[in-house]
Amino acid sequence: MSTEKVKEAIAKILPDVETVICYQQGFDGLHTTPLFIKIPEEINGLIWNPLCVQNLTSYLPSIKKKVGIVVKGCDSRTIVQYLQEGLIDREKIVIIGVPCTGVVSVKKVLREIGHQPVAGVAFDDNGNIVVKTSKGDRTLAIADVCPDKCATCQYPTPIVYDYLAGDPIKSDKPKESVHEDIRQFDEKTLEEKKAYWEKELEKCIRCYACRNACPMCICQDSCIAETREPHWISQKLSLTEKFMFHMIHAVHLAGRCVECGECERVCPMDIPVAKLKKKINTEMKELFNYEPGVDPDGKPPMYTFNVDEVKIKEHKL
Amino acid sequence: MSVVAGKELRIVGFLCNWCSYGGADTAGVSRFKQPTDLRIIKVPCSGRVDPLFVVRALLTGADGVLVSGCHPRDCHYTDGNFYARRRLEMLKRLLPFVGIDERRFHYTWVSASEGQKWQQVVTDFTNRIHQLGPLHVKKENEG
Amino acid sequence: MPDTGYLPKEKVKDFMRELAKDAVVYAPCLEGDTVIFRPFSEERTLCFDRPANSPPKSVIYPQSEQLFAFEYKKDPEDHQKMSVELKADTNVPGMVIFAARPCDARGFTIYDRVFIDTDTPDPYYKKRRENTLIVTLSCAEPSPGCFCVGVGGGPAHKEGSDAMMTELEGGYFIEPVSEKGKAILNKSMIEDGSPYLQKAQEAQAKAHEAVKNPFETDKLKISQDLFNNDAFWEEAVSKCVSCGACTYLCPTCYCFNITDEQASGKGERIRSWDACMFFHFTLEASTHNPRPTRFQRFKNRVGHKFVYYPEKYDGAIACCGCGRCIRYCPVSVDISEIVSNLTESGQKQQQTAGSAKK
Repeated sequence: MSTEKVKEAIAKILPDVETVICYQQGFDGLHTTPLFIKIPEEINGLIWNPLCVQNLTSYLPSIKKKVGIVVKGCDSRTIVQYLQEGLIDREKIVIIGVPCTGVVSVKKVLREIGHQPVAGVAFDDNGNIVVKTSKGDRTLAIADVCPDKCATCQYPTPIVYDYLAGDPIKSDKPKESVHEDIRQFDEKTLEEKKAYWEKELEKCIRCYACRNACPMCICQDSCIAETREPHWISQKLSLTEKFMFHMIHAVHLAGRCVECGECERVCPMDIPVAKLKKKINTEMKELFNYEPGVDPDGKPPMYTFNVDEVKIKEHKL
Repeated sequence: MSVVAGKELRIVGFLCNWCSYGGADTAGVSRFKQPTDLRIIKVPCSGRVDPLFVVRALLTGADGVLVSGCHPRDCHYTDGNFYARRRLEMLKRLLPFVGIDERRFHYTWVSASEGQKWQQVVTDFTNRIHQLGPLHVKKENEG
Repeated sequence: MPDTGYLPKEKVKDFMRELAKDAVVYAPCLEGDTVIFRPFSEERTLCFDRPANSPPKSVIYPQSEQLFAFEYKKDPEDHQKMSVELKADTNVPGMVIFAARPCDARGFTIYDRVFIDTDTPDPYYKKRRENTLIVTLSCAEPSPGCFCVGVGGGPAHKEGSDAMMTELEGGYFIEPVSEKGKAILNKSMIEDGSPYLQKAQEAQAKAHEAVKNPFETDKLKISQDLFNNDAFWEEAVSKCVSCGACTYLCPTCYCFNITDEQASGKGERIRSWDACMFFHFTLEASTHNPRPTRFQRFKNRVGHKFVYYPEKYDGAIACCGCGRCIRYCPVSVDISEIVSNLTESGQKQQQTAGSAKK
């Protein structure tokens, strides 16, 4: 249903822009991949379904020409954050927003079907995904295999858009639920948390997929994880260096992470790296009542200050 | 003089050039006794202290890290310490999440005239780190 | 002694314990949802039913290894004089890579040409390679993205393995490939394999049928025109985010960096994997970078595997078709699709499709 509306919107804006970024089928039924539409004939290659998970907005800052882009609610937060930080020119972007009821986590589906090869995928009208494998069909409720961000999504309808393909949806998820997982994790003892991160981060192969897929990681080629000058971390594969890299990523995203979950989605070793950034967001909310990517006129909390900070108390020794 | 004789721990201090470094100097000139565990690194302003300096120090051998700058409203560069306050508070809240005791990191404000306060800060923080004991460096794990 | 062996499933752990007596046995283990090669121990959960997320390449070719340690020493008589003391630890334990996939093992043969079969073999790699026994497990069915048959391999291709296991209903049929591999048939858990030979062959043939071959028609003749056409690359990989997942997960990527890590007069020289997908890979000291854009870097990755390496080593393709770069790509870039578009027949197809559009 939405697919036709998205196609219509793209056809409408295409004469006006260089390219429109959206999705097409990937190498198998479960994977989608970006599609860059330049001519009207290419619109037919477009697909729109809950497998369109990638946050396409990360391409925007590097494109100089006028582009169109298809975004879900969560993706639109990146655009808002880009606007706050002056990283894109709003005049050069035409946004096609699509209200979204939740996407599918490919990793979760693969876990459910025992990592078998997938012959095909279909969606029924009851909010299920039907995955065909050589061992038969498996029907899964999308709500059960959605990324964690969807389970607490507050912005199903894009925050900024020029065209809306579909009717706006209101979130039915309680606001308090967003940071519940962080609060729960924080209740563990220091030793438990240390052991948890050591076990998880030890798996890191430093491929930097999390960094390169991150829409807010804007240093890209100048990232201090790789530069020799300054020489922050070595090429040794020790846990210390892996840990350091993930702290760099988290701290550089303080008050900027829009929780799109790309870092975690793309990690080939399944490390829950988004958790670190979400923890900082929890604190940003608590300290400065700030939520990244929701107010185009907002200012990231680390870019500003108050002379009298209401929530920061002086620490006693 | 270290708190536990013969067992000095490694504490790194980032001090701003204009206030806290002066405060430490005042304490020294006034011959106030202080523990010797602290290694001081002078920075132009507390706003220069990247929270990652603290992380790097704690990961690669420091048992504690102290950051000290001018009092709020007294920054030599007008607002460097206001930014520092936000960043360092963020870090203080992040550390326990990754299993590092936040008490190993302290940030405070000491002016150039506060030699006595400086002595107190160093003594108290060093005592605290000695109570916590050495921070075990993570085992190197070659994959 | 029979030519082949059979290992009943209930004796697999006993067999691994036996191997672990005089070697470190690396086997695919489950951690959460991730399958990683780990030194085998009793508390680990083995996972043989899908290829590991990362190949076992780091066992023989570590992601980061110390070449030597160094220390500057002052002459006590003359403080102007300095000497450097070097220390290299070349001890390597016996190692076994157990239940790797045939493509993983085949990857090592691509390294061998570079690191061993030259006038100046690499002592670090060579020693580890020689000390390692590779027992592979043939694939029963392809994983998403697999295309081993397209690059001359297959789900039961034996090149690079010392011995190969094939899963049957109650156990594993074992075929030795090398002399090293033959020795494992002597272990007490191994039964005579000959009654299972036919079943194993059937299973292998069935698996072979199931793997897709994206390049069948023209045996991978890359069109030089297209390969050297920047517009082709810009179009083909505009979605690439230029991370190193494909490279670091690749059983055939071997590019490395050498750095000195030094503090207060002593340090070490380490060799670590590097990836041509990174900006820093070709960054020169002058700050000039001959490959500043993502598509140029991607072109190098494909070029190294399908053009430059074959030119240098008698047509051998430096890709084993394991499919990891496709499966784990953040944006699902499909190298098999790109290469098939680059072949001469692929080029023709594109041209006809293009003219039909007009």
